[in-house]
Amino acid sequence: MAIHRGRGIASIEYPTGMNQNGDPSQAWIKVKPDGRIDVFSGTSDIGNGSKTIQTQIVADTIGVPYDWVTYDNSNTDSSPVCTGTFASRATFVAGKAVLKAAQRVRERILEVAGQEMEISPEDLEIDDGEVLAKGAPTKKLSVGDVAAAATWGHGELITGTGAQLNPYAAISDPTTGEVDGVPHAAISYAACAAEVAVNDETGEVRVLKLTQAYDVGKAINPALVEGQIEGGAIMGLGLGVLEDSYPYYPSAEHRGGDFGSYYNPSSADLPELHNIIIENPSADGPYGAKGIGEMSNNAQPAAIATAVYDAVGVWVTELPITPERVLRALDARNAGSGPRREGKQVIFDEELSINTVGTGKAWTAEV
Amino acid sequence: MKAVGARLPRYDGVGHATGRTVYVDDVRVNRMLHVKALRSPYHHAAIKRLDTSRAEQMPGVAAVVTHADVPLLVYGHLSALGIPADEPLLASEDVRYKGQPIAVVAAEDTDAAQAAVDAIDIEFEELPALFDMRKAFDDDAPQIHHWGPIYPHFEGEMNVRQIRKGNIDEAFEQADKIIQGVYRPAAIEQMPLETQVGLSVPEPDGRFTIYSCTQALYFSMGVVAAHLQQPLNKFKFVGGTVGGGFGGKVDTATETLCTLLAQKSGRPVKWRWTREEEFLCSSTRAPWHMEIIDAVSNDGWILGRKMLTLHDAGGYARFSPYGVTKHSFHHTGAYTIPNLHFDGYVVFTNRVPTSAMRGYGVTSVSFAVETHMSRIAEELGVDPFELRLKNANRIGDTSPNGITYTDPSTVDVLHALAGATDTELAAPYSDTTREMRHGEWLPEHLVGQLGDPEDH
Repeated sequence: MAIHRGRGIASIEYPTGMNQNGDPSQAWIKVKPDGRIDVFSGTSDIGNGSKTIQTQIVADTIGVPYDWVTYDNSNTDSSPVCTGTFASRATFVAGKAVLKAAQRVRERILEVAGQEMEISPEDLEIDDGEVLAKGAPTKKLSVGDVAAAATWGHGELITGTGAQLNPYAAISDPTTGEVDGVPHAAISYAACAAEVAVNDETGEVRVLKLTQAYDVGKAINPALVEGQIEGGAIMGLGLGVLEDSYPYYPSAEHRGGDFGSYYNPSSADLPELHNIIIENPSADGPYGAKGIGEMSNNAQPAAIATAVYDAVGVWVTELPITPERVLRALDARNAGSGPRREGKQVIFDEELSINTVGTGKAWTAEV
Repeated sequence: MKAVGARLPRYDGVGHATGRTVYVDDVRVNRMLHVKALRSPYHHAAIKRLDTSRAEQMPGVAAVVTHADVPLLVYGHLSALGIPADEPLLASEDVRYKGQPIAVVAAEDTDAAQAAVDAIDIEFEELPALFDMRKAFDDDAPQIHHWGPIYPHFEGEMNVRQIRKGNIDEAFEQADKIIQGVYRPAAIEQMPLETQVGLSVPEPDGRFTIYSCTQALYFSMGVVAAHLQQPLNKFKFVGGTVGGGFGGKVDTATETLCTLLAQKSGRPVKWRWTREEEFLCSSTRAPWHMEIIDAVSNDGWILGRKMLTLHDAGGYARFSPYGVTKHSFHHTGAYTIPNLHFDGYVVFTNRVPTSAMRGYGVTSVSFAVETHMSRIAEELGVDPFELRLKNANRIGDTSPNGITYTDPSTVDVLHALAGATDTELAAPYSDTTREMRHGEWLPEHLVGQLGDPEDH
């Protein structure tokens, strides 16, 4: 018995927003008489932190402290359309909607402040809850006083709406897959290195360390970005070495029915994690941000599979890389099996191909 | 202090950490009924008889709903994207997966509801089932879907999602090596801590307040409104706080049936799936089958790619055509490959329908492409970083669909990863950038396909 160590890398990309776009988000904001801000958005927070992210965007865009902003995504009577929290779209698409609404609110605050201060709105700015004359910061009025003036003096409600919609990019030629517009809101990038230990007697694969670099455009909240990187990494680890809804595939019997009979990652499986955030700003995202939510579980399985090869010299390309699959692969290698080489062709995994398993003529692999 | 860029604690973190956040199952209203479902015990069967009359008379039972009670039984959740409807809200003629709902009962408590479910008179005729999507194309494959073995409604009524780019035959002729592999990630569970749960409350004004764990309030409200054939103002969705959602909470699994039961009984109806139901009946990530054949040069250029993808949709289409389309758009990964020939199929099997899950359509292809890249590096004896940096997409390259990359960061993330893992990169790999690659990098036949022809 020996423990073998190995390393593998992977490099991936992932789109922000629904594929082909066409997924609107809308928001509206009102200002209370003391300047506190109410945001109404239809974006569900699925644990990704979109409440926090959108609140941060609104606070900075208007120019008020974060804790002045209340965020309400609780119901469809008060909140407008958000296509939903999926497709890594909440920060970019829904975040852009609240950003636009906040810009309108900021404009309205400046207009009312301009009347109160008898200064043109173009010569005013808002910082930390105060409206300031540019270049003469002693001339100032709190956003609370502006809101009070709007409410009790001008008889007005300061509001703003915003909506974001990247137009739907239709497939213009279904034979080639060409599209008639940009089919994503942005693209994010990541690279991952996995270090593993493989036991050649039991077949067990332990993931020791994941080093990962993500370009997220702009980390609106670096702590939440790291949460996505780490949470996603563990989900990717589960996909890579542990989880299977159909452990006797293709049989659909013997499925796990509870947490005790389904191998999801637990704290015992946690590897060492090293996270790197890169900020190459996107052209259109709020503050240059782009999505990270989904891609964070995409890079690990390939990096792990490659690391297993580096450790023990076998490719396991059916997931998860269970002890049984590792041992079977080791047995096959020891029996002399490997890719079939024919001329310039190198053919791996022939036993898994549709041309081996099926008799249908869906596709011919001959080249 | 500026908020953007700050490590602020989560807006809702204290509530989550102290157990004070109100999730759907925490909501209690007076006179609330509870739901149990009659589900298929077979993977594939015809329904020969369905009679709920005895169940309706059981003690504590307030309402039973079957396919006959649904104003619009078959509604396609992505019909707006041109994906036609194929899945009934409740099975009527046949069942295509184990656990498929056939009838639901609302009763005073779950025991009474389950007793009524057990009293439903139903007769099945079991039919042959298909589980291995590689066998769906066989002449003797069991017929399990009224559309045939594969989804037939891509644009132009094609049964395949195709990508064609460049001249694939020329790429394979030019290749020094042709490297082929098969990649098969498994289905996995969504497994949120909060199982699927909904509560529908009939209000005195005729509206329904629907407490929902959906990831998409308006989307799910649209699904309920479509099945009930009512305008949106009949409903108020309450939610926005989800106890874990990775795609499966877009399925709108409970809201419509709770509302139909609430309408029929005139009482609030809550349905919380058990953990067993969550495992056996909620949508999984799909099993995928991918075959990649790459034409490569000895010095590490990927000249062309032929790829076959089979996506296991389970018994109904749901979002699968969307997933395969997204998959096809990203089948070159983070690289530019000038010549492409991709065929992707949505295959029906007798599994629980698969659905969107974190990384939908792309998690699979990232595994396949990156493992394949590692194999290519190994076969050619090329450093894995250098192989990737060489083929990495650059500004001005085009995607499989012909869209120009404007700000790719593949080079940047690989450089960062090399730095963090103490990997020494040699020139020109150490100083290459995401700007368009220059001619000296390219073999003669790739100039014009992968580089700026002005360079030569």
